[in-house]
Amino acid sequence: MTETENPVHPQATATRPAGRPGEGATYRRLELKSLGELAALVVLVAVFTALNPGSFATAVNLQTILDQAAIPLIVGVGATLVILMGSIDLSVEGVMGAAGMTFVLLSANSRDTVDLGLWAIPVALAVGVALGLLSGLVHTRLKVPSFIATLGVWFVGLGTATVLFGEAAIPFLAEGSLQSWPSGRTLGLPNSFVLAAVVVLLGVAVGRFTRLGRHAYAIGDDEEIARDNGVRVDRYKLLVFLVAGGCSALAGVLASLQLGAGSATVGIGTLFLTIAAVVIGGTSLGGGKGGILRTALGVLLLTVLNNGLILSGVSPNIQSGVSGAVLILAIVAAAWPHRSRLRIVK
Amino acid sequence: MNPSTTNRAPTATLDPPTLRLSNVSKSFGATRAVDGVSLEIPRHEVVGLVGENGAGKSTLLKILTGLHQPDSGVIEAHGTAVRFRRPQDAVAAGIGVVHQEQSLLPNLSVAENIAMSAVASKDQATRFGFYRWRQLNREAAEVLGRVGADIDPRTKVGDLSFVDRQMVEIARALRVDEIVHVAPLVILDEPTSVLERDETDVLEREIRSLKKLGSVIFVSHRLDEVLRICDRIVVMRHGRLVADRRTDSVTEEELFRLMIGKESRAAGRPATGRAEAAQPVLEVEGLGRAGHFTDVSFALPPGHCLAIVGTLGSGREELVRAVYGAEPFDRGTVTIDGEPVRSWSVAAAVRKGVAYVPSERKVEGMVGGLTAAENMTLAHTPRHARRGPFVNRRSRARLAAEWFERLDVRPNDPMLHLDRFSGGNQQKVVMAKWLMAEDLRVLILDHPLRGLDPGAAETVNAQIRAAAQAGAAVVLIADTIEEALAMGDDILVMRDGEVTARYDLSVDSPTSLDLLGRMV
Repeated sequence: MTETENPVHPQATATRPAGRPGEGATYRRLELKSLGELAALVVLVAVFTALNPGSFATAVNLQTILDQAAIPLIVGVGATLVILMGSIDLSVEGVMGAAGMTFVLLSANSRDTVDLGLWAIPVALAVGVALGLLSGLVHTRLKVPSFIATLGVWFVGLGTATVLFGEAAIPFLAEGSLQSWPSGRTLGLPNSFVLAAVVVLLGVAVGRFTRLGRHAYAIGDDEEIARDNGVRVDRYKLLVFLVAGGCSALAGVLASLQLGAGSATVGIGTLFLTIAAVVIGGTSLGGGKGGILRTALGVLLLTVLNNGLILSGVSPNIQSGVSGAVLILAIVAAAWPHRSRLRIVK
Repeated sequence: MNPSTTNRAPTATLDPPTLRLSNVSKSFGATRAVDGVSLEIPRHEVVGLVGENGAGKSTLLKILTGLHQPDSGVIEAHGTAVRFRRPQDAVAAGIGVVHQEQSLLPNLSVAENIAMSAVASKDQATRFGFYRWRQLNREAAEVLGRVGADIDPRTKVGDLSFVDRQMVEIARALRVDEIVHVAPLVILDEPTSVLERDETDVLEREIRSLKKLGSVIFVSHRLDEVLRICDRIVVMRHGRLVADRRTDSVTEEELFRLMIGKESRAAGRPATGRAEAAQPVLEVEGLGRAGHFTDVSFALPPGHCLAIVGTLGSGREELVRAVYGAEPFDRGTVTIDGEPVRSWSVAAAVRKGVAYVPSERKVEGMVGGLTAAENMTLAHTPRHARRGPFVNRRSRARLAAEWFERLDVRPNDPMLHLDRFSGGNQQKVVMAKWLMAEDLRVLILDHPLRGLDPGAAETVNAQIRAAAQAGAAVVLIADTIEEALAMGDDILVMRDGEVTARYDLSVDSPTSLDLLGRMV
């Protein structure tokens, strides 16, 4: 049950009443399902270790992988909550751009003199939350499908970032500011990954223990029944979009720090990676099934894959094509036991 | 326990009634689903609510649970006027409900489902929006224990059997007395239709203990059960409350009669020249599907109408959907025009000239975003309205106009999106879609008159007869027994998936009571 984000109780096995054979099988089946992704990860690691002796399974490369995984992990938390509701958030890259530019311009940088210091971060997050609010309001109030609402907000965010970027020289973050923080180490782990891990753990707690998270499951399961049960569907949808906006904004700030400069397209490629990770993890695009821990596993799987392909000498020119093909293969292989969930979004 | 003494217990007279309805009405379009209903539910009383399908029971219950808002009338709970805008409002007034259709979320755990409406309205099992799983599970286990259900609250609802899910629904409704500290009113909407005998006993026991706490509204088609469990029985017909009797002063037979209104008898019709030689258009032989219906056989010559009657859950819907190829069957054969069908599917059925007008029009029969004219020609575009793969718009428009005229569809504008029509008129459009088929052999109608006003119903019936006269065999699931008696040449009665009786109306003339007796 662990991987399905349902409450775990150690005594669950012990206190299960006898004579209900179906139940034990259910528990075991669920574990097997999520083992599929874990097994795929182990196989990938083994294959790349064998292909690249002395370069893949090293501490340095491991740190690289974890550093690369940080951004999709953070975005994945919000994306999973949205997809659990049966909606989708395509605005990720636009929100990252807008929040990232906001952060850079309000920090010590090579272009202007405004320097809010650490306060630049909450302002950037607020920009992301505001864009999430926009998506949520368009979706719930104007009854626009989330697919279209967030597609629009993606470009609103991108446009905002482009305007902030302006015509002047590229704003580089000043040396000695927070710039070096993400690549610093805590307990041997990159700080960026530590931050992502904290966000993931918070996300898991939200998904399991809070009304927000549980209502997201309920809405994705069946919106009408949830409403009949008194769930304020529109309110919780809106809240989840706010959370997703915040996650994307945090990822935008982190990406800007890693880049060391402001860029409207700082989030490029994140949407593909995140949605792919959510689906590979086994969260149903139809909503109601899955969880954030599953997405984290999916992110690690894809990051290891990308890293391994580069190390294995796959030409950068065909990298993208290979990634796409491998994504499809990975979904078919890893998600085979629950392919019925991979319904297309409405 | 004698019901009359319970009601006259001193507490009952001191307290205001748990619930009082005064002149409550609700219309959908032209249909008055609930018409001026006044009803009082005192404390410590179990009130049975009976009526035919479509008598307005479900709408009334939806008003009581905050899913529908009445157009007029006053609802009082414990002596104060209330308005239920949302389901939580009804919960807050102490009303718990077991819906007829299951209303559980399959991906969530049993405990979470039981707690859902309480959690949504700020319950002690959550703290600052955080779930206290231990407490939720413990409370769920407790309330499940009260109904004697041996279900682990951590199980996902989707993994439970149908009966277990029903027990979870009942447990959830019972929980209402823990949430609010007023005498609860628990509404059970046909809770026993899927329960086994001993589970029904558990429920009966639970209802008796509930009676000590508050009151119960019990809806069921099993009249013997209603008579056994309830203190008082109210009867609805055509949206009105037509009788309010103490259980000890009414018999099962009387209830039947009150539900139906009058005792109608099949008009002994002249044998419509049932040519024995004529080859049956539709022949069904030993058709069965495990858990739904068993061993159903009938043969329909051209022009004959078979009406199938039975209660919800009798398997008749599944049967006709199987004949249409929309649902599977495990055994038996379906023969159309003497040809047994292999690899039966909807597409194959349509090619063979079988048409099906579903009861869930919204879901199965119509495409709301297309115009009425487009919807009409969706299944069959008559040859003269086609030019190769293209549709000839002008002749389609002419065709649609002609059918609008015939069926008296209002507003008379085939170019309007189907969404914009009222339910009854949508129904006519969906009917026209199948009736216009040039090679219509078998017409299957699932509640064709549902939601139609009497005038529209007559129009539709006339078209059904016209289709039969043109040589089609008609299979009809009727809304009411009168409808079945009026339209059918043969009547098949089903109960729990089995055929319990069949009547050839050119020979027999059963009364509606005869039929009801075989249904329940």
